[in-house]
Amino acid sequence: MLIYVILGLPLAAAVAAGILPWRRWVGWMTTLANSGVAFLGVLLCAKTVNHRALGALDGSLRADALSAFMVVVIGTVSLLAVSQTNRFLRAEIDRGNSNIRHSSLYVVLVQIFVACMLLAVLSANLGVMWVAIEATTIATTFLVGHRRTTGSLEASWKYVIICSVGIALALLGTVLVYFAALHIDGAHLTSQGATALNWTSLQANAHRLNTGVMRLAMALLLLGYGTKVGLVPMHSWLPDAHSEAPAPVSALMSGVLLAVAFYALLRFKAIADGALGVGYTRSLLVAVGLGSLFVATSLLLSQKDYKRMLAYSSMEHMGLIALGAAAGSSLAIAAVLLHILGHGIIKAVLFLSAGEIYLVEGTSIITEVPALLTRRPVLGGIFGFALVALIGFPPFSLFISELNMVRAEIAVGLTWVAAVSLVLISVIFVAMMTHGRSLLLGEPASMGDPRSSSRTFAVPLITALVASAFFGIVAWPLAPLLGAAARVVAR
Amino acid sequence: MIAGISTIGLGVSIGASLLQLIAVVLGGPLLMGLMVKIRARAEGRIGPPIRQPLLDLRKLASKERIHSEHTSVVFAVAPIALVASVAVAIAITPLVSTFPVLGRSADLFVVVFLILSGSVALALAGLDSGTAFGGMGSSRAMTIGALAEPALLVAMLALSIQAGSSNLPEIVSSTLAHPGWIASPERLLSFVALLIVVISETGRIPVDNPSTHLELTMVHEAMTLEYAGPELGLVLLGQAMRLGFLFALVANLFFPWGIASGSNPAGFLLGTVILGAKTVVLVTGVELIAISTAKLRLFRVPELLTGGFVLAVLAVVTGLVTR
Amino acid sequence: MSGSSFSQMLELASGAVLVCAILTLWRSDLHAITSILSLQGVSLGVVAGALAAHTHDGALAATAAVVLVVKGSVIPMLIRQVVRRVPGGRETSPLINVPASLVGASFLIVLAYLASSKITALSSAAATRLAPIGVATVLVGFLVLVTRRKTVSQIIGLLLIDNGVALVAFLLTAGVPLVVELGVSLDVLLVVAVLRVLATSMGTVSGAFDLDKMQELHD
Repeated sequence: MLIYVILGLPLAAAVAAGILPWRRWVGWMTTLANSGVAFLGVLLCAKTVNHRALGALDGSLRADALSAFMVVVIGTVSLLAVSQTNRFLRAEIDRGNSNIRHSSLYVVLVQIFVACMLLAVLSANLGVMWVAIEATTIATTFLVGHRRTTGSLEASWKYVIICSVGIALALLGTVLVYFAALHIDGAHLTSQGATALNWTSLQANAHRLNTGVMRLAMALLLLGYGTKVGLVPMHSWLPDAHSEAPAPVSALMSGVLLAVAFYALLRFKAIADGALGVGYTRSLLVAVGLGSLFVATSLLLSQKDYKRMLAYSSMEHMGLIALGAAAGSSLAIAAVLLHILGHGIIKAVLFLSAGEIYLVEGTSIITEVPALLTRRPVLGGIFGFALVALIGFPPFSLFISELNMVRAEIAVGLTWVAAVSLVLISVIFVAMMTHGRSLLLGEPASMGDPRSSSRTFAVPLITALVASAFFGIVAWPLAPLLGAAARVVAR
Repeated sequence: MIAGISTIGLGVSIGASLLQLIAVVLGGPLLMGLMVKIRARAEGRIGPPIRQPLLDLRKLASKERIHSEHTSVVFAVAPIALVASVAVAIAITPLVSTFPVLGRSADLFVVVFLILSGSVALALAGLDSGTAFGGMGSSRAMTIGALAEPALLVAMLALSIQAGSSNLPEIVSSTLAHPGWIASPERLLSFVALLIVVISETGRIPVDNPSTHLELTMVHEAMTLEYAGPELGLVLLGQAMRLGFLFALVANLFFPWGIASGSNPAGFLLGTVILGAKTVVLVTGVELIAISTAKLRLFRVPELLTGGFVLAVLAVVTGLVTR
Repeated sequence: MSGSSFSQMLELASGAVLVCAILTLWRSDLHAITSILSLQGVSLGVVAGALAAHTHDGALAATAAVVLVVKGSVIPMLIRQVVRRVPGGRETSPLINVPASLVGASFLIVLAYLASSKITALSSAAATRLAPIGVATVLVGFLVLVTRRKTVSQIIGLLLIDNGVALVAFLLTAGVPLVVELGVSLDVLLVVAVLRVLATSMGTVSGAFDLDKMQELHD
């Protein structure tokens, strides 16, 4: 029942927003729906934390601690992003970039997008999960191209083409896994039928799957879902889409969509580890993780656009998460999940405040927005604190999760990987600090029109920052949940 | 098989080879005439009679030999080499009978090599004459040939993979034993590839237009421009034989029914008639396609031929996959 | 359906899928390519239909019908609407010329054959042996996607990849479960619809049907 409600809330909000013309209260209604998702997600966590799993719809939907955790992440970040939707849409209409009809479409698509991500993490069937993740691409395309400028259309074109190709490869991988599942121990099994793609039965039978086919499948899956995560080699859509999309959409995509795609990889990794041992997937993950870190580092160094800077930072963090998953121990997976949550919240805050900066300053070039902290203290303060949190300063939770991932990597013998990643992280640290300094500090050319930031903007974002710091200091409500979720996929 | 051939068997075998040779020597020019006729009819003209190429050959044979004083012995030998290489290919290939005509020498690589050496002889003659047209024709013919020959080889390789042997009689007889092979993808692919190659090898539209003497489009005609009299007759005969041979080979490889399998001379005659019928049907089909296609610009020809080559590779891989 | 005619049918239809992929490399006329794509969709439907008839599987038969309708007619129709707006209706300047891409395709086909050896080793079923054909179609789709510069050609490359994956799915597993298959078909249809809208609005906003004109975003 709980699962139905969680899936139904955003869908109902989408239907309502589709029927009614866009008004402020429609926006607040969708915010309410998403806060419902976040709340019910917490409830779901409470039910699944003691290793119980909830099923629904004849077992085709299933929620265990990992799914429940992802529901919370999706709920929280979407709540954060959707709470800024009204401000964004009003501003767009005021500037003549949008109208009521486009705004309605926007609200509907955001809710469908959230529903698809929820379906992806709640599905028991790996095929359905694929369908849901591909559906997120479709739902977000028009959101990326919402502004209908040449740049945003180009970005959405690249986004759809590259992600669809990646996702097609992931489907090929899924088909191969299914094929292996139908030929367990060389015998052809037809009795399993539809349940053969359920990851519970796959995980249980993992050691009996054909290794040759599973190797091929896992490589394809990593390439395919890795595209949606923003890992090399098919990452080139990410900076374009994230910088061209409206700020709330960037927040959703960077904060949770990447993580949901990574969730798919975690599920498949558990199966592949059972079939092939940890070594194979580990080396693949190390390769793409380090590759993504390298690319992100080199492009962050000379970045001039603060939205693209944030996009490449997403790539960096996805690389770090991939390295953490490569370690694969319980500690590592728990750290990965905490990192997903922390990164989701912080990156959402950053993209939302970047959107606000773009709105009031009219440019996304770093050097053209000096002395933000003096001119707009609240906005600049939020952006500054979030930036500090993003590069891994304590007390924010990203510090804890990065620390634990590095510890886990060293514990399983990936010391050189940990060392390389630490070097790259420190380079990124310096680069981001430099960019942040030229954005926030310096002499203001003119005071302009000092405007205090609106309360609907500041309150949710500051709350999110405080929450992130809280989880960095106190592990209490999360520790058992993370442990339970990690044990679902860790060996 | 070789050990089993008695003197009588050898006699029959040689008889079959001679029969094939005669059939192709007469049939090749007739096929050319047929193609001209079909085209004429399609364009609403009556056109020359089908036996016109034979009449031309007789007329040419009675003329005096004329050589340009700039030519060497290559020029004189080339027509003979062309006709001889095609004749050997015809003699060893199972056209009217699967009876192993000359032991196991009817290997597809041998046949492809023979066809190729005829083309090379002609190209050398074109260069030897020292005229601009001859050289141009030779270089174009070699460009096309360099693409067409590998395609021909690979396409036939696909058939030999299916049959498990590169021996032409065995390919034909195993096709007879497994009629289901005819509709298999590798057969269809290599059939299309071979048709493309055959069209380009024999200088038919859409690759080359044998009825034009426009320098922009000439390929085969340009090489033979310096020939006259009996030697021109030989060149034309060689080309007609090659056309007849390639069509007959394709017809037999893909539709082998009706080929004689024993050593009965009556069966040979029946086989000859059926071979003629098959070839006429095939040629008519090709000519009808050719009529509906404009001639390709010269630089599109490589595209068509690489297409043929890819189809041939595809046929081989499909053959490996479905074996 | 008897055993041999079943496998023959399967071989023919899967061979046709790959040949269609090669033909899209060969032709530069976008209208012709759209028709080829439609033919490929039909062949894919025939593969599914033959498997359904062989296994007497109702769900698979339904899938075959869906594939026939969606990939055989609806998607080509959507693409044709985009092609009509492309001036000239031709793929004018691929990154590598046609003969080179054809030769490249033949290498890819061999590569697919080698890469699938692990898969075909697992089962001796007639359908499993054909799986490399699907993998080859995927690779040829990649080649189209990477070397062709028209927006429509990119959609076509994407669909080739998709059809190749679908072929592998049918051949290896006799189709994924029906609900998944329906979802997959719906997703593909929606992606093409989305791309059609995007291509159209890119054409009206900036007159760009060429990817080379899309150079605004870079680092």
